[in-house]
Amino acid sequence: MKLRTALALVPLSLAVGLLLGAPSAAAQSTGWIRWGNWSPSAPEFDIYLYSFGDPHAETVIKHVRYGDVSSYTAVPTGQYTIAMRNTGAAATAPPTLSASVQVTPGTAYTIVSMGPASHLGVQVLKDKMSSLRGQALVRVVQESLQQHSVTVTDGTRALGGHLLLGGHTGYLPVSPGQHTIHGAGNSKSTTERVSLPANTIHTLVLLDESGGLRIDTLEDAAGSQTMPAGAAATGFGGTAPPAPGSDPMPWLVSLAGGGLLTTAGVIRLRRIRSGTVRVR
Amino acid sequence: MIGRLASRPAAIAAVATGITAIAVGAAGVILGGGILRGGVATPPPAVGPGRPADIPVPTVTDLASPSAARAAPLPVALRIPAIGVNTRLVDLGLTPAGTIEVPADPAVAGWYTRSPRPGAIGSSIILGHVDSLYGSAVFYRLSHLHPGARVYIRRADRSLAVFRVDAVRMYDKSRFPTTAVYGPTPDAELRLVTCGGSFAQTLKSYLSNIVVYATAVS
Repeated sequence: MKLRTALALVPLSLAVGLLLGAPSAAAQSTGWIRWGNWSPSAPEFDIYLYSFGDPHAETVIKHVRYGDVSSYTAVPTGQYTIAMRNTGAAATAPPTLSASVQVTPGTAYTIVSMGPASHLGVQVLKDKMSSLRGQALVRVVQESLQQHSVTVTDGTRALGGHLLLGGHTGYLPVSPGQHTIHGAGNSKSTTERVSLPANTIHTLVLLDESGGLRIDTLEDAAGSQTMPAGAAATGFGGTAPPAPGSDPMPWLVSLAGGGLLTTAGVIRLRRIRSGTVRVR
Repeated sequence: MIGRLASRPAAIAAVATGITAIAVGAAGVILGGGILRGGVATPPPAVGPGRPADIPVPTVTDLASPSAARAAPLPVALRIPAIGVNTRLVDLGLTPAGTIEVPADPAVAGWYTRSPRPGAIGSSIILGHVDSLYGSAVFYRLSHLHPGARVYIRRADRSLAVFRVDAVRMYDKSRFPTTAVYGPTPDAELRLVTCGGSFAQTLKSYLSNIVVYATAVS
């Protein structure tokens, strides 16, 4: 099968400023990739991930059906090649689809097949993994073939208007909670109740369903429902080494000396009282 | 000396002086070097620079088979064999100042209930004390963990969430990287937090936090 790499459909976001927060320690030399199949008329795929120039696959995801998206896999930063083969095809067979992606530190990517079987392509989306504090973020991706153009609303608010195949919105802040998402194409529409908790990031995907349109919800990233403030007071100092100048020895000498002196004084007083010592 | 003590006033003076010395000594032991620690202590064992754990190759996932349950159960216990931690987990909320509560019992660790459950997408957060007033506490050896060590969390349905340590870091509390430690992540991760660094007598507090970063492996 002819190899097609739909470079035109690779909207690798150049918005480096997307990441508001510092990547975690683990993220400083790793990124994340997840894979999926958004081509309704394509077969199931086995998806292979190769580090650039290495013929041995690092990761293989099998039986990826229409609408499936894997969870994220952490990968070291660098250049990768993604190959999609029809399920069951040999690992050495020429791929049905392939694409390459440069994984940069602390960034996450969604790599999916998309489009009609006659014009299959690979779409690479750069995902966001930092939220606006206390809010939810949501992005809409239009992958329906049956509906040429789709408009998506959240209640009365438009999230994305007239999205064409492969088109997507940026990440939009919404208030946390339950949302009623409505997608309307040329002839079909659908409504989905979606839970968007605080400090979570989601992608909503418009896909074809027999006789209609559907919305799949992907969780891109999640944080705590309430972001804590700063450091934690998790120690009382019982094992901290004593501070300079806090050596207890002089005080212990004082204690012992005082005890001896007091005892001697008391004994002498008793003897004076009992007359065993003659007072001049 | 005996001659002096033989006189009654001298003996009384000796007793008074002795009692004063005892009082001074006792106060010195309690306030200076004994029960309460002071000043700037020497740092605890150095924390090595974190490095990403190797990615196992190849990982084969079959999406046709049912994946693990999406809704992770509540965590109830924590075990870290590499440093001998085996503790139940208590629930932790937020203080009025907005920081995470700390466990009342230094011998147990706690899970921040508004963080993702262990095994779910996001950073699940667990806090434990490094020491009590009198000795070591549940996370005394946390800074000794190395990348690759396993962390096991038992959940309410008796299932295990297993994590692999990615990095161990020490941060000055005044420059705590809140977003990196507590912020969103695209996969299931874990943060273990305790105190470290110097202990400030005036603040009755350690000046740094130790943070262990770990990622789910099952």
